Amino acid sequence: MTTATAPAVDSEKTRRRATRPGRAAGTGVSRPSFVWAAPAAVFFGLFAIVPLLLVVVLSFTSWNGLGSPEFAGLDNWSKLLDDPVMLKSLWLSLLLTVLGVVVQTPISILLGVWAAGHQRNRAVLSAIYFVPLLLSITAVSVLWRAVLDPNFGVPSQARWLFGDGNLFGVQAGAIGVLVFVSTWQFTPLHTLIYQGAARAIPQVLYQAAQIDGAGRFRQFFHITLPQLRNSIVTSMVLMVVGGLTTFDTVLILTQGGPGTDTTNSAYYMYQKAFKSFEFGTASAIALLLVLVASFVSLVMVRLTGYDKMRSTMEGV
Amino acid sequence: MKRPAQLLRTAVVGGVTLTLSLSLAACGNSGDSADGGSDKIHILVYGDAANKVEKQLVETFNKTSKVKAVLDTIPGADYQAKLQTIISGKQAPDVFFNWGGGSIKPYVDAGLLMPLDDFIAKDPGLESNFLPSVFNTAVVDGKPYGVPMRGTQPVLLFSNKKVLADAGVAAPRTWSELLTAVKTLKAKGVTPIALGGGDKWPTQMWFQYMYDRVAGPDLFQKAVGGDKSAWASPDSKKALGMLKELIDTGAFGSNYDSVKFTDGGSPALLATGKAAFELMGSWEYSTLQDAYPDFVKKDLGYGGFPTVEGGKGDPNNLAGNTNNYYSVLKNTEHPEAVAEFLKLMYSDEFVKAQLGIGNLPTTTNTPKFLNGSANPAYSTYQYELVKKAPAFQLSWDQAYPPAATTTIHQAVQQFFNGQMGADAFIAAMQTLPAA
Amino acid sequence: MRRRPNYLAGFGSLIWLFVVGLPLYVMLVATFQSRADYAANGPLGLPERFTLDNYVNDLSDGFGQYFLNTVIVTVCVVGIVLLLVPPLAYAIVRSDGKATGRIFRLFLLGLAIPSQAVIVPMFYLINEAGLYDNLIGVILPTAAFAMPVCTLILSGVMRDITSELYEAMTVDGASSWLIFRRLVMPLSKSGLSTVIVFSALQAWNGFLFPLVLTQSSQNKVITMGLYDFQTEHGVDMPGLLAAVVLSMLPILLVYLFARRALVQGLMGVGGK
Repeated sequence: MTTATAPAVDSEKTRRRATRPGRAAGTGVSRPSFVWAAPAAVFFGLFAIVPLLLVVVLSFTSWNGLGSPEFAGLDNWSKLLDDPVMLKSLWLSLLLTVLGVVVQTPISILLGVWAAGHQRNRAVLSAIYFVPLLLSITAVSVLWRAVLDPNFGVPSQARWLFGDGNLFGVQAGAIGVLVFVSTWQFTPLHTLIYQGAARAIPQVLYQAAQIDGAGRFRQFFHITLPQLRNSIVTSMVLMVVGGLTTFDTVLILTQGGPGTDTTNSAYYMYQKAFKSFEFGTASAIALLLVLVASFVSLVMVRLTGYDKMRSTMEGV
Repeated sequence: MKRPAQLLRTAVVGGVTLTLSLSLAACGNSGDSADGGSDKIHILVYGDAANKVEKQLVETFNKTSKVKAVLDTIPGADYQAKLQTIISGKQAPDVFFNWGGGSIKPYVDAGLLMPLDDFIAKDPGLESNFLPSVFNTAVVDGKPYGVPMRGTQPVLLFSNKKVLADAGVAAPRTWSELLTAVKTLKAKGVTPIALGGGDKWPTQMWFQYMYDRVAGPDLFQKAVGGDKSAWASPDSKKALGMLKELIDTGAFGSNYDSVKFTDGGSPALLATGKAAFELMGSWEYSTLQDAYPDFVKKDLGYGGFPTVEGGKGDPNNLAGNTNNYYSVLKNTEHPEAVAEFLKLMYSDEFVKAQLGIGNLPTTTNTPKFLNGSANPAYSTYQYELVKKAPAFQLSWDQAYPPAATTTIHQAVQQFFNGQMGADAFIAAMQTLPAA
Repeated sequence: MRRRPNYLAGFGSLIWLFVVGLPLYVMLVATFQSRADYAANGPLGLPERFTLDNYVNDLSDGFGQYFLNTVIVTVCVVGIVLLLVPPLAYAIVRSDGKATGRIFRLFLLGLAIPSQAVIVPMFYLINEAGLYDNLIGVILPTAAFAMPVCTLILSGVMRDITSELYEAMTVDGASSWLIFRRLVMPLSKSGLSTVIVFSALQAWNGFLFPLVLTQSSQNKVITMGLYDFQTEHGVDMPGLLAAVVLSMLPILLVYLFARRALVQGLMGVGGK
């Protein structure tokens, strides 16, 4: 299996050649009908798509959770368009996403490639690196709050770096904390992806490069990185979608503050729904968010050919 | 190759069986509760350490009552949100915990709550056994909707006596004394006032007292009743101006928005002598008692908010959480049982149990048991304070309907950090829905 | 060919160890201190007196029940995912039909639906179905929202099974079911373990669904139990953190045992 995954470009070509005669000869290959996909589709439809459709309906109503929703036409939508906080929140969502990708990607690649080595110490350290992924958000919140306390935590020991330590009181600091903590928590996931992919790179490539006298840096940039191309795309799709919908970390670390300076769209939606009880407005924001996130993921999926997953195998 | 496949099949089959049997079990369960629902009353409370007492009372009640009470708790931070989503549905409780004032106003407006007039007519003790200033907080549109069910929590000015003594500062009784003390302390390199700005509601406490001392309790009552001009009045501007002056002298240091009360950050500043004062609810005492028992014994000082010279508010006025309340749903099938349950809220057992966990009940029989409380001196001080207070201002974020909380919290934070001037603050408060 | 040790990478890995380790160190140290000692020492201080009280208190404080509930939720979520996702992934990779392609795109879109976006209608639906405050009501949506990523992972792995293998089986006259059972499932082992770990993680640390969809203490899961340590006016840090340590132990064990398979499974996600 390891070899089958190997050099992406090459194997795709060889597969194309190999599969074509197979396809011609194999008219009788048994293929699963869509019935195989039906149970999952029905289940997912019931518990994800139906609620989403209800969100669409609710976005045209006015409802505070008491009594029944009342039809409100486009009120919620026109209010949102005039709402400066809404615009700011979209901008913050994008900012958090871009910063997340820019910070997490290099760290995950380096750690993943490093962890792909089979040394014993790397295995042990990888296990420790994995732990943040296991912590629940409540724990992550109180932990980092304690560690970053301006008077008793790390900032009090490193005034040269943190100044008065007012990380949560200024926008740049609060955004920095959010990006940092997400990186801390989710880097393990992306590291695992890169670790798997790096292990699949055939050693012959490195051996050849070494014979040519290529140093470690050249090997990394000329062999490792190109070979990881597809993993980078996958990991980025996950980061972008995750970044746009960042919610837990905002809820627990900054509550959107100071003021509205870290109120991204996902948190703004939650605030409208469960703090202000404007379920109609909240649904409109939710829908907007889903639309933006699906659009972005669709574009990325198109660009990368994920939706043609079957055909890469078949060579169509 | 065969073994993993078999293992997997076992796992899948096992999973299905488990799911099915659980579904059946669940159906069985829900069936039970549907049948049993008819002779039970559900009591919904805010989930925290004080639940001990609520559990005890439910047990006491169930010993004698044919209709059994069931206690449900919702973990802290999301209590209000959860309540709003279930209160009009079939999951609605019979009796629920609230903060009185604006926190129940939307439900009264939606016709969901039962006025307690009939209960009180049958048992006048349900009103007369409680301190009036506290009972009145749950009066909405002239009708009583709640019975006090925990302790009162006025906001007090706590201090570190050692820090004050070292700086040669006496506990301030007036605003100008406070300003002088702040300057002296700052010169000594101490943060004058600890503030958990990250939680936002501690910041709000400063506004509550400033407005009360400068303008008296009426300004806020008008504002919360829907008179938006109250916020733009000269008194309002004066209160904001004085507060701004305090902030600008550096009384709170510069990193208060990164400090929280809830994770122990601001009490630690006070207890370790890095700060001299903290304005906080009466629960500060038990928080500090848990974490810094020595400090509480030797150096903890407490007192009321300073008088503002020339202000309209009585220096004995208080602000804070008057109490928590039990309100009753109109749809309850067992009003008689509910009434019986509410009567427990002024029983001797209730008072003793609340005092035992450090809460200060607001029943008229409370003084009898104050000596049995965890800290008799502190409890007595508070009880006298509440009893003689001409007005007890409910915390702003609870006096307004829950939908206003976010706006209030953002505004107080932004006024402190300079993002909002007085005019912007007034404008923000004018957008709040009336209670 | 033996490569010389990479000191730069070693140095970098130690820096990261510090970043990851510092909060974990704070956490572990806090759990072995009393509340008063923790407050006196601060998060970075060294503990003076060692105590196991926090763990003992947590375990005697209903955490057993929360544990059991969380295990039930996790097992059921993993069970549902294992039951539904492999056939789906198989169909996505091997089916000719247009319907399957559409279904796959639906699942890709599902990646972009944040669970908090649908939480209001979800509450409504679960309530109408009579599943409010019932573990089933938590299990079903949690499983549904774990499915898109699991589908992505598993179809990635199944894609790597070569056509020759399918053809060889077809020559023997095997049906789709037989191919699925004899060829696809065994060769997707690594992907399946990834899916198990991923969905178990989702269920174990699930927060929003239990928060909104359950209420009584007999239906509380661990994440809600952790939430109880935060009250209106404060948080019991050592108690909370001890509970956190307890709650992550089981899943850390699963990770340690499944580590190799997990890394292999994720090769499928990345490498195409």
